[in-house]
Amino acid sequence: MALLMEILAVKTLYRKKFNWAQLMSVPAFILYAVFFVYPLFKGVGMSMTNWDGMGEAKFVGLQNFIDFFNDPRALNDIKTTLIFALGSAVLLNLVGLAYALLMNTKFRGKGFARVIVYLPAIISPLIMGYIWYFLLQPGRGYLYHAFAQLGLPDLVGNWMSAYPSALAVLILVNVWQFAGMTMIIYLAGLQSIPTELLEAATIDGATPWQRFTRVTIPQLMPAIRINVVTNIIGSLSVFDVIMSLTEGGPGYATESLSIYIMRMCYGSRTGYSTAVALILFLIIMIPVLISMRLTRAKN
Amino acid sequence: MNRRMPKVLRIIAIVLICFLCIIPFYVLLVLSLNSPQRTFYEGSVFVPDFYFQNYIDAWVKSQIGTAIINSAVITAGTLLLTIFVGGMAGYAIARHSTRFNKTGFAVIIGCMMIPGIINTVPLYTLMKNIDAINKLWGMILVCSTLALPSAIFIFTMFIRALPKELDEAAAIDGCTGFKTFWRVIFPVIKPATAAFVILNGFGIWNNYAQAVFFLQSRVKQNIPQALSVFFQQFAGAKWHLMAATAVIAIIPVVIVFLIFQRQFMKGLTDGALKG
Repeated sequence: MALLMEILAVKTLYRKKFNWAQLMSVPAFILYAVFFVYPLFKGVGMSMTNWDGMGEAKFVGLQNFIDFFNDPRALNDIKTTLIFALGSAVLLNLVGLAYALLMNTKFRGKGFARVIVYLPAIISPLIMGYIWYFLLQPGRGYLYHAFAQLGLPDLVGNWMSAYPSALAVLILVNVWQFAGMTMIIYLAGLQSIPTELLEAATIDGATPWQRFTRVTIPQLMPAIRINVVTNIIGSLSVFDVIMSLTEGGPGYATESLSIYIMRMCYGSRTGYSTAVALILFLIIMIPVLISMRLTRAKN
Repeated sequence: MNRRMPKVLRIIAIVLICFLCIIPFYVLLVLSLNSPQRTFYEGSVFVPDFYFQNYIDAWVKSQIGTAIINSAVITAGTLLLTIFVGGMAGYAIARHSTRFNKTGFAVIIGCMMIPGIINTVPLYTLMKNIDAINKLWGMILVCSTLALPSAIFIFTMFIRALPKELDEAAAIDGCTGFKTFWRVIFPVIKPATAAFVILNGFGIWNNYAQAVFFLQSRVKQNIPQALSVFFQQFAGAKWHLMAATAVIAIIPVVIVFLIFQRQFMKGLTDGALKG
């Protein structure tokens, strides 16, 4: 009896203390579980079947993964995706930081210049790809005619129909579009560096280069981390700009893994395309985790 | 490093960068105003024909008006839904550190780095089963799940920084948790909401990788999907129509950006660096 009383007492105490507000997270968790976590796990199961999206799915074990690594087109897509991401991440950070250092000084029209440099980043990468297509088409693109009328030699080559050059154009267009976004993050990072730190370094006799490498760069670590990680994720899953600028061509030379996944899915190889998605997942997570570890704040 | 560089050189560099950023937009404008018969050998490439009929033709033929409305509905719906559920979740996580909330938060933050394309194919079969393909509400759900981690993260961080006395005062006044959040906390964290909208709004508006899968029917397409379908018909011809459609398509975002650019730059750095 005493025990029962005790249980009741604890229960009422518990009821009094239970705050329903702690469950306000439930709708968000349900939404996320149903539309993100569940498909993620379902994809793991689907990746081991030969499902075509309509009929019966048959378990095929790791066959899809074996097929993937035996498909020259798929292996080339990995190469394209990695080169695109490496080129984009490195250039975006260098250009973004250079822009930020230029803009982090006093001059008239500073706000205006920032808006202009950021403008490309708000436009759909798909539309940006089309605009550059109009500019760069060999023999009939805008730049070809502009150079001709200015009396300059044709500086625009047949870039888009040859392999390494087409990929280079894609990287440069991507860098051109998103340099402003990287710049804004670096600008905020630069402005948060205490001026006393730089002054103290000057008094200690540091050269400008030493100040940059020993004070500015370490202080910029949080901004570098954000930019590197978002650039890696974004460029390894690149889709839009390739679809509009080269459609993966010439041939499949500039096809990215995201586009390959979409085309395999439309080609009724649903099971296989989920296997490719899992491979892409690993390809993204490894460099992301490494770069997060390398840029971890030391305090 | 900067102070050493002569000021003139620096200004020249900045002007060049600005030109580099603006020239493609100028070219698009020129192309969109050239008459269909024009070839560039006939006149200056820099001055268009001011043939405005292109815009009327593009508007009618591309049905871009429908796509703009669809994009607006998807973007507004996604933002409202994620602010609603994400804001409440951020409040619960920041104020009630239960095991349930901690686990959910850890899972969502862990998945934050997974791009949507990874689970789009299995998601497609789920969406087919609940008849959500080619539905704007379906696309809103897809975009919401992709934006949700960012919303929860931003709201949790901002609410954690608020003094707990706010909640306690509201509780004394008889507010429940739900009311406390919407009446007291939510109005205070407007910068968080602004940062979330700024960081995610354009991405939702410009979404293409998911729209390819979930918005195939002509009347439900968003702007990028409608443009790509419309452009594929031409196989590289009729640039005047393509350019005019592209101009119409980018006008809404450019206007919104120019109006809110001050808040935009601030919100972008607030949201990105607080995290």
